[in-house]
Amino acid sequence: MTATEPRAPGFEVDPSLYRHLADAQVNVEIDTGDMVLNLGPQHPATHGTLRLVVRLDGERVVASDVIIGYMHRGYEKLSEFRTYPQITTLINRIDWLSSFANEVPFVHAAEQLMGVEAPPRAQYIRTVLTELSRIATFLLFLGEMGLQVGAITPAFYGFRDREYVLNAIEAATGGRFHPNFNRIGGLKDDLPWGWAAETREAMRKILKSCDDFEDLVVANPIFQQRTRSIGIIPAELGASYGVSGSNLRASGVDWDLRRDGKPYLAYDAIDWKVWTHPDGDSFARYWVRLQETRESARMVLQLIDAMPSGPIMAKVPRIIKVPEGEAWVNTENPLGEMGYYVVSKGATGPFRVKIRTASLSNVSIAPWLLRGAYVPDVITILASLYFILGDIDK
Amino acid sequence: MSDDGAPDAAEGATSMSDSNVALLERISTALGSDAIVESVESLGDLVVRVRADRWRDAAQACRTELGFDYLSFVGGIDWQPAPSADEGSGDTSAPVQPKEQTYGVAGSAGRFQVFARVASTHVPRVGLTLKVDLDEESPAVASWTSVYPGADWHERETWEMYGFDFHGHPSLRHLYLPSGFEGHPLRKDFPLLAREVKPWPGLVDVEGMPGDASDETEAPDSAGGGDA
Amino acid sequence: MTSGALRKGPLKPVGDLLNYSRKYSLWMFQWGLACCAIEMGAALAGPRYDVMRLGVIPFPASPRQADLIVISGTVTDKMAPAIKRLYEQMPDPKYVISMGSCANCGGPYWDSYSVTKGVDQIIPVDVYVPGCPPRPEAFIQGVVMLQERIQSEDPASRWNGGHWEPIVVGAAAGEVDA
Repeated sequence: MTATEPRAPGFEVDPSLYRHLADAQVNVEIDTGDMVLNLGPQHPATHGTLRLVVRLDGERVVASDVIIGYMHRGYEKLSEFRTYPQITTLINRIDWLSSFANEVPFVHAAEQLMGVEAPPRAQYIRTVLTELSRIATFLLFLGEMGLQVGAITPAFYGFRDREYVLNAIEAATGGRFHPNFNRIGGLKDDLPWGWAAETREAMRKILKSCDDFEDLVVANPIFQQRTRSIGIIPAELGASYGVSGSNLRASGVDWDLRRDGKPYLAYDAIDWKVWTHPDGDSFARYWVRLQETRESARMVLQLIDAMPSGPIMAKVPRIIKVPEGEAWVNTENPLGEMGYYVVSKGATGPFRVKIRTASLSNVSIAPWLLRGAYVPDVITILASLYFILGDIDK
Repeated sequence: MSDDGAPDAAEGATSMSDSNVALLERISTALGSDAIVESVESLGDLVVRVRADRWRDAAQACRTELGFDYLSFVGGIDWQPAPSADEGSGDTSAPVQPKEQTYGVAGSAGRFQVFARVASTHVPRVGLTLKVDLDEESPAVASWTSVYPGADWHERETWEMYGFDFHGHPSLRHLYLPSGFEGHPLRKDFPLLAREVKPWPGLVDVEGMPGDASDETEAPDSAGGGDA
Repeated sequence: MTSGALRKGPLKPVGDLLNYSRKYSLWMFQWGLACCAIEMGAALAGPRYDVMRLGVIPFPASPRQADLIVISGTVTDKMAPAIKRLYEQMPDPKYVISMGSCANCGGPYWDSYSVTKGVDQIIPVDVYVPGCPPRPEAFIQGVVMLQERIQSEDPASRWNGGHWEPIVVGAAAGEVDA
């Protein structure tokens, strides 16, 4: 539009300004420098204290750098100064949404080194609580990804449904999250009377609410337009970056440590399915997690029906001293593959604990993934990768 | 794949499960058996210590010839025992570790090692832990970023925590710590000053610790509890 | 509290009205750092523990429009300058709630090399909510106790060098030393 064309009625411009409009048009064609935009570390859209520095060409990202470490608390060093039960208390807080699931691989590693095995009832209860943590984490994701994309209602649904699950976890363990319920050799306590019936009811509500999410979010054309073909992770590249969990399954890789890793907990005893999606975009990641939430709810129902009776704690000495050795245990946590490499020298505390967290690898692909994305898509992509800062920063 | 029940560190290749023996064969063929310094099975996992100059070749062999497309992590270990309380470090509340410098399941030539874990997303239940020794004076090893791009951040973390140099890494800079941080926190000679200034608050509890070295059991034997 | 013109005499109803309206329209700048942020989120966005019914509105557009900041989660040395800068960007009168034991005193990471042992090392704190994490009800208790203090305080005291004891949620009266 040139300065001499008639304007729409109502848009009156002082003719002396026409020269400036013409200049504005010329400026568009001049090659101006790239802009560097800093997102975070405090930002309502990044999921915690993550700092993203992007170099923009207009609205497109040319290059980006992810700066983390704002929540680095030094878990690996702290573990060298604590006894095994004290570490169990601490590692809850690495991935603070699915805290029960963080304890499981570490306790497993210590049990393997000691040569004890938790009794079957304890394994089943651990599985139930892990799957409940998975549901709680994914419900938050299903809600807040809608929020990041611009839909506010799913966030309230997600928080409301999370309360049912947290009620169940709290009734069993005493803590809404950070339950500290695992002990080396089993669990702290048995399930309370009436817990199974209430949890069954909660799972029925969760299954219904997954259908709501499907209708409200997944079928929504705006959501689909915002997320389809955004942030595609190729499977081979994702694996070499260490991307794991639902992110990799959304790229078509049929790999789930509950089925394909070393057998742990009670997953072999029930009937369940691994969900994958071939596209690898943000929509696929949302969809896979929605299906996995449903699957976890069904798994919890099966586990409660199949729960054996018996003791919940193996015979372990009062002061835990783990014999010398090295153990690597990795599990399918809600965010991906989480593992602990525990080096023990026979003391009451470990010599070295290397913590492998899922979100560090999931986010390390972000600089590659964000090239060429538009600014609003940056938020969508980060939301769909679903990281927790404590999990990245340890 | 059967679990190796004995946690003893120095078992040789004779006690390995068949799948691990086969895996070791494939690695030796791919790298040449002179590249492997020691190999052992620890609790069902194959741990292979390779020669320092073949570290990147090992990664390449894993990715292309052995089909290990997934990188789990790259980390470091410092085998030196931490200074203990009676040597005057002041921290009386941490668990007491043995004072001799021992080296874990696959052994080590010295104080520093880098170890990594790779796995396959196509073949279930197979993975490999690789270890390499680093020189104590100037610890350095080749970078894996040209083979596994995900090693970028892991090596940055290992550098800032231990001070290991990774040749060929695009930019070794701080990942977790602020840029002005001095020292390498995960080294055993890096003290946690807060613990030395003030002992663990739990030590001032009223109740004494239960009797040491007793094997009494702690199982609350609730047979058939709950209502499942 | 020092007593200015709005707390005594004929202008006292004006002062009461001003405090009443201030306490029920706290714009809360949410500094959600770690696990406590999830409990804070449950308190804010969750329909069960809705804190908006108390007048605390959680979505100001920027720190320059906020009255209240809730530090929920671990403060690391890397993050501390950002917190200080954002606190200074808030206009007075402003209030700080330190939520969770990490923000109160370093918490479970008291011996870490990278954690600031308590946010009160950087900014002055009005309310301490202990817990790891504190339940949403405990957080709401902290907000309510802060509102009670706002009702009875003299707004000018913040500029006149007034000194006030921090509130600790869960402590009986007389047990607290600042």
